[in-house]
Amino acid sequence: MPIYVEGVALEVSFADARRNLSELIFDAVRAAVDDSGRDMGEIDSVVLAAHDLVDGRSLSSMVTAPAAGAYLRDETRYSDDGAAAFAAAMTRLEAGDNTRSIVAAWGRCSEHDPDAFSRALFDPFMTRPLGLDEFVLSGMRAQIYLAGDGVREARSRATSRRREAARRNPRALKSGGFTSTPHYPLEETDMPLWADITVAMVLSTEPAAVRVAGMGQSSEPYLFGDRELRSIRSLEWAADRALADAGLGGDLVDLAEVDGLTLIDEALGLEAVGFATRGGGMAALADDPRANPSGGGASGYSRPAMGLMRIAEAVLQLRGSAGPVQVDGARTALASGSSTVAGQTQTAIVLAAA
Amino acid sequence: MAIVGVGQTSYKRAHTELSSADMIWTAAELALEDAGMGVDAVDVIVMGVAPDALAGENGVEKTAIFGAGKPYVRVNTGGVTGSSAAFAGASYVGSGRAKVALVISLERMGQATTSQQVFNTIFDPVYEKDFPLTTITMAALRASLLMRVYGYSERDWALIAARNYRNALRNPLAHIHKDLSADDILASPMLAWPIHRFEACPMSEGACALVIAAQSAVGDRTGAWVQGIASTSDSYAMGDRFHRPEGTLVDLLSLRRSAERAYADAGITDARTDLDVVELYSPFSSAEAMTYPALGFCEPQHGPRFIQEQLTDASLPVFNPSGGPQAANPVSATAMVRIAESALQVRGMAGEHQVPEARRAVATGQGGATQFSTVCILGAERPE
Repeated sequence: MPIYVEGVALEVSFADARRNLSELIFDAVRAAVDDSGRDMGEIDSVVLAAHDLVDGRSLSSMVTAPAAGAYLRDETRYSDDGAAAFAAAMTRLEAGDNTRSIVAAWGRCSEHDPDAFSRALFDPFMTRPLGLDEFVLSGMRAQIYLAGDGVREARSRATSRRREAARRNPRALKSGGFTSTPHYPLEETDMPLWADITVAMVLSTEPAAVRVAGMGQSSEPYLFGDRELRSIRSLEWAADRALADAGLGGDLVDLAEVDGLTLIDEALGLEAVGFATRGGGMAALADDPRANPSGGGASGYSRPAMGLMRIAEAVLQLRGSAGPVQVDGARTALASGSSTVAGQTQTAIVLAAA
Repeated sequence: MAIVGVGQTSYKRAHTELSSADMIWTAAELALEDAGMGVDAVDVIVMGVAPDALAGENGVEKTAIFGAGKPYVRVNTGGVTGSSAAFAGASYVGSGRAKVALVISLERMGQATTSQQVFNTIFDPVYEKDFPLTTITMAALRASLLMRVYGYSERDWALIAARNYRNALRNPLAHIHKDLSADDILASPMLAWPIHRFEACPMSEGACALVIAAQSAVGDRTGAWVQGIASTSDSYAMGDRFHRPEGTLVDLLSLRRSAERAYADAGITDARTDLDVVELYSPFSSAEAMTYPALGFCEPQHGPRFIQEQLTDASLPVFNPSGGPQAANPVSATAMVRIAESALQVRGMAGEHQVPEARRAVATGQGGATQFSTVCILGAERPE
């Protein structure tokens, strides 16, 4: 059963003192529902992606779910990336459990400490005392990746292009935000711009402008030592499944919106989904305007909203409404979302203009 | 689709001998063994853990991913996490994207010095945290309202708890094995009026796993067939649920709406006669009273009488044959345990606490500030 995206809304802000988290969520969901042209009476499902430690209270969906339209509806919440919630919402529609679903994800970096969130991912006795956080792992990946031929040279061009894309993207954070201290060999320009992000969509089984052509998910072992640093195998597997679902090759999609914590992770992600050749991810970020045209992590970043944000940017591209970062003639797109630790679980979504 | 495998650790205050990954895989291996499957047969893994603060670690369940490359998602819906995870697995199977889903819920609260301090953080940090609102005081507010509106007594709460403890004596996995009478329970310390200590649930650790298979993958396995599932969320603020026309705070509207949908799918028209087993997620004995009218067992004003009827009318379904959450409450897993126990009952595999000739069971989930409700109907009959 084909699934379509009927409505989409994306807002990137920082420390908006006029609105609390529930109000940010309500505004995004309301905008997505308005964009869909439906009313709430036609929606029977709400699927959320949110982390308690990001929202600052245990079981945060008690207060956020009603803001997302869950009142007396079939609602569930994933403590996973927004793209995973998108995939799960698809299965609910495909199974016939629901007919139309809101999907929403958010993260408010102005009100939580993303570094503390990251450190809490590690075992409190064995690994947390080492000072591990996700940037340490990205730094380990960067050390091996940057040793590749031509990668360091492409890195500065990729940084410039990413910043320029974020500057031109009307949805990107224009003021405020902050970055974490980079670990060697990461540099400040590799880092994500922490922001407040709310994303919402309306999915349906009824035809709309954008169709979900494929979905794939996968996972890797918890321990970093059990993984291959030089590649993101879980994303490779997820993308393989999504592309097979869509009957496409990774090099055949018109654009990619790939989630990665740092610039290096984005480059690795482009390689994992087949949009760039092995070793060519950084060059793609540097020279190919179809690679993360939104500006990726430079346009604003907060877990666990990133996968849904990437999907939202891809949907806008396929609707021809991405504004100054529009990729001309885009008919197909691949978007991905990752979840901790270090992209341990991945979701890939292939979209097509209907 | 059907549940073809059930695995559970025992439930106790702390599994000091097991890591989180050990607990998850103990339950998972038992479920796969019960299903006669290896992990290679699994197409998707759904994990349920909530909240992180109880474990003291963010994403503690991910330590159990060993690299099979499976699709993996984590559900966190508070008290209904276990049933939400099961429903998520069912959706993957129902969508055709998976033939077999392995769903697991883990509770690791043994490392929390006190659960109530953590549960205090589910409420508003500015207006409610200093109240002090906790799950116990939240339940006490409802219990006192039930007593005032429908005439329940403190002894009613004790009678329900005594039945649960009595049933748990036949469940080897239960956390609490005490033969407590209603008088014993009424003599236990008062936590928050009118709730006595032994009317509340214990802090339990444990893991529960289910293998859910598409009809085409069930083969000759004995399945608990999924006849109806439904989930409903309600408003957060308790004050918003006092005077609305749809139902008051103690009408448990979210459970009633879920039951209506699940019953319709399952073809249940009379809960008193169409069901054999009822496994309720009522962490406080008084909370059980809210489920009676919501699940269609009686009118709200007849709830006190229904407690007595359960003791004397053998034609009624058996409530909480496992002992329910008074006997073990691994929060993240409890709603899945209700489904697991229901599955064991209709498969005829519940051992010493098997209900004779159990053919159909209802399992409920309850989470948030009695805000999230799930209903799952399982049956022994393979669909045509």
